[in-house]
Amino acid sequence: MMILESLRRQPAHGYALVQHIQQRSNNLLQVEEGSLYPALQRLLKAKLVKAEWGVSSTNRRVRTYQITAAGLRHLEQEISSFERMFEGIALVLNPGKTTAS
Amino acid sequence: MDWMPNIFRRHNLYKDLAEEMRLHLEERTEQFIREGMSRAQAEQAARRAFGNSTLLEETSREVWQWPTLESIWADVRYALRQLSKSPGFAVTVILTMALGIGANTAIFTLVHAILIKSLPVSDPKSLYRIGDKDDCCLTDGLQNDNGDFDLFSYTLYQHLRDSTPEFEQLAAIQAGQNQISVRRGSNADQIEPSEFVSGNYFSTFGVGAFAGRALTEEDDKAGAAPAVVMSYQAWQSDYAGDPSVVGGTFYLQSQPVTVVGIAPSGFFGDRINASPPAFWIPLNAEPLLRRESSILRQPYQSWLYALGRIRPGVAVGPLQQKISASLRQWLLTQDFYTHDGGAQKIPKLHVVLTPGGAGIQNLQQETGRKLYLLLLISALVLLVACANVANLLLARGTKRRRETSMRMALGAARTRLIRQMLTESLLLGCLGGVAGLAVACAGTRIILALAFPDSPGSVIHATPSLPVLGFALLLSLITGIVFGIVPAWITSHGDPADALRGVNRSAGDRASLPQKSLIIFQAALSMVLLTGAGLLTRSLGKMEHQDFGLRTTNRYVVHLDPASAGYKPEKLQALNLELERQFAAIPGVETVGLALFSPLDGHPSGFTVFVPGKPAAGQFDDNEALIDRVSPQFFDAVGQPILRGRSFTQDDSATSPFVTVVNQAFVKKFFPGEDPIGRRFGSYDKEDVGAYEIVGIVADAKYTHPRDPAEPMFFRPLSQWQHNLMDPTAVSVETQSHFINSIILSFHGQPRDLDKTVRHTLASVDPNLTVVDLHSLDDQMTGNFNQERLVGRMTTLFGLLTLVLASVGLYGLTSYQVNQRTKEIGVRMALGARRSSVLLLVMRGGLLLVALGIAVGVPVALLGARLIADQLYGLKSYDPFSLSVSVVVLLAAAVIAVCIPARRAASIEPTRAIRVE
Repeated sequence: MMILESLRRQPAHGYALVQHIQQRSNNLLQVEEGSLYPALQRLLKAKLVKAEWGVSSTNRRVRTYQITAAGLRHLEQEISSFERMFEGIALVLNPGKTTAS
Repeated sequence: MDWMPNIFRRHNLYKDLAEEMRLHLEERTEQFIREGMSRAQAEQAARRAFGNSTLLEETSREVWQWPTLESIWADVRYALRQLSKSPGFAVTVILTMALGIGANTAIFTLVHAILIKSLPVSDPKSLYRIGDKDDCCLTDGLQNDNGDFDLFSYTLYQHLRDSTPEFEQLAAIQAGQNQISVRRGSNADQIEPSEFVSGNYFSTFGVGAFAGRALTEEDDKAGAAPAVVMSYQAWQSDYAGDPSVVGGTFYLQSQPVTVVGIAPSGFFGDRINASPPAFWIPLNAEPLLRRESSILRQPYQSWLYALGRIRPGVAVGPLQQKISASLRQWLLTQDFYTHDGGAQKIPKLHVVLTPGGAGIQNLQQETGRKLYLLLLISALVLLVACANVANLLLARGTKRRRETSMRMALGAARTRLIRQMLTESLLLGCLGGVAGLAVACAGTRIILALAFPDSPGSVIHATPSLPVLGFALLLSLITGIVFGIVPAWITSHGDPADALRGVNRSAGDRASLPQKSLIIFQAALSMVLLTGAGLLTRSLGKMEHQDFGLRTTNRYVVHLDPASAGYKPEKLQALNLELERQFAAIPGVETVGLALFSPLDGHPSGFTVFVPGKPAAGQFDDNEALIDRVSPQFFDAVGQPILRGRSFTQDDSATSPFVTVVNQAFVKKFFPGEDPIGRRFGSYDKEDVGAYEIVGIVADAKYTHPRDPAEPMFFRPLSQWQHNLMDPTAVSVETQSHFINSIILSFHGQPRDLDKTVRHTLASVDPNLTVVDLHSLDDQMTGNFNQERLVGRMTTLFGLLTLVLASVGLYGLTSYQVNQRTKEIGVRMALGARRSSVLLLVMRGGLLLVALGIAVGVPVALLGARLIADQLYGLKSYDPFSLSVSVVVLLAAAVIAVCIPARRAASIEPTRAIRVE
């Protein structure tokens, strides 16, 4: 979901994606950089993203990933279901607030 | 199905992925360099941040794969590559497995065909037989001491059929089998097996006809035109599938009958035996074919099995009760069974219903235990083979430990490694299984030839069927896992750091303990099998070389059937004299004996003996003895010595007083402690209580079962005939007993052209007489041991196989150890060890293992011997001779196996050994 969200903002290659996710999460999410790749392959297989070889702004040969229409739809579904779940958790953790609203 | 194009695209995908990951690392490294690290530091840090790149690449790839299948395929290819690198190893393993799996599959083919398979009939599950024993073939008394009834007369069968509507159909099947003469047109007579069956036989089984039609109820009515059905096998082998056979006229026992149809090709009858019937004949044609010996209308001659199809929803338990009650009720109405205290026995009588889907299970009852014993033994052989292969794999695993450690150091998961090694052993198992099928096919043929030496066209086929193939596959997979799992586990637990240190130089040997235990295990199993083989072989030898009470050298038995040649009882006397005369004229013949039956030749009949002056024995008390009717020269011809009195002579004629000769067992049973010569007894009820006078006593000889002691017997001359009998059963029995079935010829030396001479002589007496069969008296005696011989030989074969496998295993382990210890041995020798002490050192190691194996094996062997105690003849299950021979053989094999590598160790040159590596 995070990958898709990042790609929705802007197509990127693997390294850039790692950088982006780490920065956005204020380095809270420290994972092995490599673990991005299996995830990317899964997305590729499900046709939620597509990849293309190209040259980056820093003049490097990179493989840039782009979100597809299907990817966008999937992302929206995921976000909404995630939000619902999040809301549910919030309701359980703060019951008082719910009755007030 | 989008994986299809993926297969072609995949290579590019993987290349992209690898490239991408490499670029990622590069970029990260440069980033770190920009942050001020040295290149080396930066590279290391980048890799640390990235994680296990090999593993990640593999997981990424798996996304594209058909998850497990593909990696299995990859493993299989890898395994094949590994195996092709060491063909010697692969061939050894595959051959070992082929022997193990082949032996098991061959035995299973038999177990499946004989014990598991149903008859090829429709809905075999609803078939039930009334009866559960293999009693055969004819009796006029009450069967079995516990009152279990199996054989029925035609009258009783009709009563049961008509009083049990629970049976949709109830068929009657002759318990025995007839060898009948068959002639078509002007061809010569042939002798073929046949079976009398009720008209509803085929419809009960739900079997139609391959050509023409099956028998019907109409064919089995008194006075119906005689119609018979031929078996497909006989049609093919004797008449080459000639279509004009159907509807054609054949002469069975010289009587014209019509072949109305051919049975379906897979249908071999109602039971598995060595010679399935070629003809099924309606019961009501029995008087026509057997003429004077007919028993169809004798209400107390029980000679039929009953097998039927029960209606859906009928409970078997209550039905069994009902039939038992119906049987008792019928017997109580028959004076024959109720007089002389018989009525008190009737309440005990009952029948047992048994599933009939596999037909009449006589062969199953006879061989079931032996077959399971063989299956067990072959499973043990397979275990030994597995142990051998496991040992080879362990040794190989140790050699490959460097490679495994390296792969683990490079990030391979342990489960992945185990899986790969298991794939390799499964692959070996399956290859072994395929080779094993070939072994099984050949093996089954050999076993069948051993088990049924006289029947080329048996009903059991050696070609593996689907269940057999399934069994072999399952066995291959299981063995693959069994011999693969331990080595895989041990090998995969190598420490990755070892790889860097160079494990092959270390002295520690982790695989050694399991390897040694496997050798002990093998030695123990060999011990068990060898002891079993020893016991069975010795028992067979004792049985074959026991004193049968006869002399068999240069003696031959001709079987014939005068009834089938159309002889009337009144012609028999003349025929017998002529046969005696003509056969005695053959050059080289010493004596000729004629007999109702010869020793160990089928089932003789038991007669009730009545001794005057003895307390009136009830008809059903145990006062039976076997009867044989013989010619004067008979005892000489079989070599049975007369102990007292005289044999029969030409003077014992139809008009002289009735005489009899009895054996020792008879004297013991009926005249204990008395002088029997001159005493009298009778065998037909009370009307002739003292009809015969005992004129001689003959030594005991075995006529029925080779395992049992000789039974009480009395002999009567063929020339005497009781014409005074009134009871129709007695008249019929007296008549039948005058039809001889054997001529025994005793020669001065080895006869030449015997077959031709005998046929010629018989034809010169009467061209209608045919030789049913001809073999030596020796063969007739030992023909009774076919099964015992089969089991004995198979066990010996399996025992030797195990011994070879265990020796090869021991040899392999010892040479491996010698290789591993080359350096150590070199050092020892450099420090002054003598060659002989090196030899001892190596041999002690191997022999110690075998000794341990023997120590474990002896108690197991003793226990196993207990299991087969009832299969043994003249031997106790504790047989020190078999045990010690096994120990000696095993030790000798072990010494040879260990000696070769030990000698090699002793010839190591210290200087070269130390320089190794």
